[in-house]
Amino acid sequence: MSILLTRRFFAFGAATLLFAAPGTRAFAQTSGADAFVKTFATDLVAIVNGPEPAAQKKAALGPVIDRDVDVSGVARFCLGRFWATATPAQRSDYTTLFGRVLLNQISGHLGDYRGVSYTLTGDTPQGSNTLVGTTITRPNQPPINVQWVVDGSSPTPKIVDVIAEGTSMRITQRSDYGSYLSQHGDSIDALIAALHRQLDNQS
Amino acid sequence: MRHATCHQPPARRALAAAAIAAGALSLSACATKPPATDADATQEYEQTNDPLEPTNRFFYRVNDTLDRTTLKPLAEGYVFVVPSPVRTGVHNVLANLSSPVLFADDVSQANPSHAGDTFMRFVINSTAGGAGIFDVAKSLGYPAHDTNFGITLGLWGVPSGPYLYLPFIGPSSPRAILGRGADTVIDPFTWVPRGYGLLTLNWARYGVGVVDTRADYLSDIEHVKASALDPYATFRSLYRQNIQSQVDAAKHAAASPASGPAAQPNQ
Repeated sequence: MSILLTRRFFAFGAATLLFAAPGTRAFAQTSGADAFVKTFATDLVAIVNGPEPAAQKKAALGPVIDRDVDVSGVARFCLGRFWATATPAQRSDYTTLFGRVLLNQISGHLGDYRGVSYTLTGDTPQGSNTLVGTTITRPNQPPINVQWVVDGSSPTPKIVDVIAEGTSMRITQRSDYGSYLSQHGDSIDALIAALHRQLDNQS
Repeated sequence: MRHATCHQPPARRALAAAAIAAGALSLSACATKPPATDADATQEYEQTNDPLEPTNRFFYRVNDTLDRTTLKPLAEGYVFVVPSPVRTGVHNVLANLSSPVLFADDVSQANPSHAGDTFMRFVINSTAGGAGIFDVAKSLGYPAHDTNFGITLGLWGVPSGPYLYLPFIGPSSPRAILGRGADTVIDPFTWVPRGYGLLTLNWARYGVGVVDTRADYLSDIEHVKASALDPYATFRSLYRQNIQSQVDAAKHAAASPASGPAAQPNQ
């Protein structure tokens, strides 16, 4: 790969794993969104650091992600303009697969985030969303700035994106899917088949 | 007029001409713009800003093959053979050698805090840090950072231009190429007189730098390749977003120096 890739560039590599990353250390402020992210992180850390085997941790992770992450909203965002043309059955299949791929990607790297700690660095309102800033620190690794995008428009707040060093998880994912679709004749069935293959490879 | 191909049999000449034509075609291949009636697809095409996509994908495959067969095994061997503290030392020496260029870039971005950090890091690490092997400056409150003249051009309002995927180098853009050229020109090591062994040093520095950088990203690159359906598009998106966030950060720092690291008492 490129020799020009900077350290920041691959902060994203960690981004999809960061749902599993945080450990509590200090909290600068406690807004509603901060408190929400704190609760989410505390639950995740309990799972990550628990003594259970990997399969059990994955089983415990699912409900926490379902509770605090707007998986169907993120899935819809990632399909971009193709959501409008998808049939109800395709939407349903795709959303289910998306959730399973996301959970696999997170649970497959739980071990990489031992000894992690984080600090909250403040909130930035952005429309109906709030960006909750954190600095993630891992042993012997440079710190990573991560923003959690929390949608507060619904009665229960939900995480809709993770932005690591300026790279957004959902924008990157949408670019990946959009490009795959355009390379495969805009066929949503081809995308669904590819997600099935991805799940098979991960299991 | 004599011409080399005149001595070749006609069939061979025709083949050579066809090969050249095919090569030229692949180099000039353009992505097909969607019809104007399809507004969503057109918007996506313009946002992607990758008019040379077929050519870029060709070089992505070339680089990927080179990487799998050469660079990645080399980087894995480097990580396997060389102990971590030595690798950190090598990394620090390379970073220290880049300090003069980084300092010029910091100044061009009107970032006195970063320029001060770079200056102090170079002085401290070149002396107390044993010619740059140890990052003593970091523990004294001068943290490392990274930038380049391409980011400066972005700060000055120069658009990045279309996405380019270059042989050997990878993700790039006309602005990044211009910035890279400027950084090479202002690097004092570019101008050392030949015959002093320093030219060899430059090549060694470059070669070790490539392996050092690749070794840093062994697991990250594999992770992106494993999780992306279209790794080319994913790397493109990551590159674009990352460069834009660096330009945004440079703009933010230039607009409000008081809120930057300069405001911290230990710097």
